Amino acid sequence: YEDEDNRKKRLLLPRVSYLTLVTDKVKKHFLKVMKQEDMEEMWFEYEGTPLKWHYPIGVLFDLHASNTVLPWSITVHFKNFPDRDLLRCPSHSVIEAHFMSSIKEADALKHKSQVVNDMQKKDHKQLWMGLQNDKFDQFWAMNRKLMEYPTEEGGFRYIPFRIYQTMSDRPFIQKLFRPVSPEGNTHTLGSLLKEMYPAAIPNEVCPDDFQKRYQVVIHGIEPLLETPLQWLSEHLSHPDNFLHICIVPTPTD
Amino acid sequence: MSDSAESPTETQKEEPQPPSDDSAANEEKKKIDVLLKAVGDTPIMKTKKWAVDRGRTVQSLAQFILRFLKIDANEQLFIYVNQSFAPSPDQEVGVLFDCFGSDGKLILHYCKSQAWG
Repeated sequence: YEDEDNRKKRLLLPRVSYLTLVTDKVKKHFLKVMKQEDMEEMWFEYEGTPLKWHYPIGVLFDLHASNTVLPWSITVHFKNFPDRDLLRCPSHSVIEAHFMSSIKEADALKHKSQVVNDMQKKDHKQLWMGLQNDKFDQFWAMNRKLMEYPTEEGGFRYIPFRIYQTMSDRPFIQKLFRPVSPEGNTHTLGSLLKEMYPAAIPNEVCPDDFQKRYQVVIHGIEPLLETPLQWLSEHLSHPDNFLHICIVPTPTD
Repeated sequence: MSDSAESPTETQKEEPQPPSDDSAANEEKKKIDVLLKAVGDTPIMKTKKWAVDRGRTVQSLAQFILRFLKIDANEQLFIYVNQSFAPSPDQEVGVLFDCFGSDGKLILHYCKSQAWG
């Protein structure tokens, strides 16, 4: 519904989509109170941080505002586009290209690109249309192929993941990591973090002393650290086929 | 995205590297080797092998290639990994090297037009 205050617009945004894909209504709304010629490329900011449209919306929320009261108040800008912080998004085809590249990158890790390369162009299009039009079945008819693996392997070749943390100087951590160890042990969320971000998991040296400084968040929830990584990759990946993991400070109230 | 003023260094120059300070030792090298390959009728770089800072972005590298080839900076350049996907312009080459490097280097294909979609 629209607020009477025309400087605000309320929306429900899908976690799995992208800001510039689902906010055409926002631009239309603000055309009521602004002149078209005064509006340059629209961009979004939260508490001084420009929001990267090419990150899934849910990731942006978990990273920047997970422990705040809803609704998430985002400021919309139509001027002074911050080229140093944000990529340009002149059309939906840019979002489609980015989305498809992410899927291809994920499949390069999972299957040496064999599955995505065996798909036809229309299959790729179906993945995008499923996301764009919020058609779960249409999307999964194709995506399920990207979630298969040879039974003898026990899982994907490598797990596509990205670990985000606001306090870091790097955008995210992404490295090669197998779902099963050479000895045949199933890797878990905990074993991934132990390798990539040990500060986020209980200290083995003094487990009783452990004060949970960080929350490990995927799609707004904290999965158990014992959860198998292969399972997380198959079931909690975003439509781009990446497991996006946010490490945020535990609220101290 | 702002363009870093620093250019990648050529690996072909034989410069003795000073021994690294143990206290500042990093598991990962600060620079990674990149091999640049032209696609189609895009001009070939005379120097193909470069040592690039890990934190350098794909976009910054693309701008460097355009400058080196004396192509208009406003022209688009497509960069591909594994001849299969185009990484995000803000992606760091160090991450691409970690995930898709082989034989100690990251091979990137570049093209003035879209090659692999």
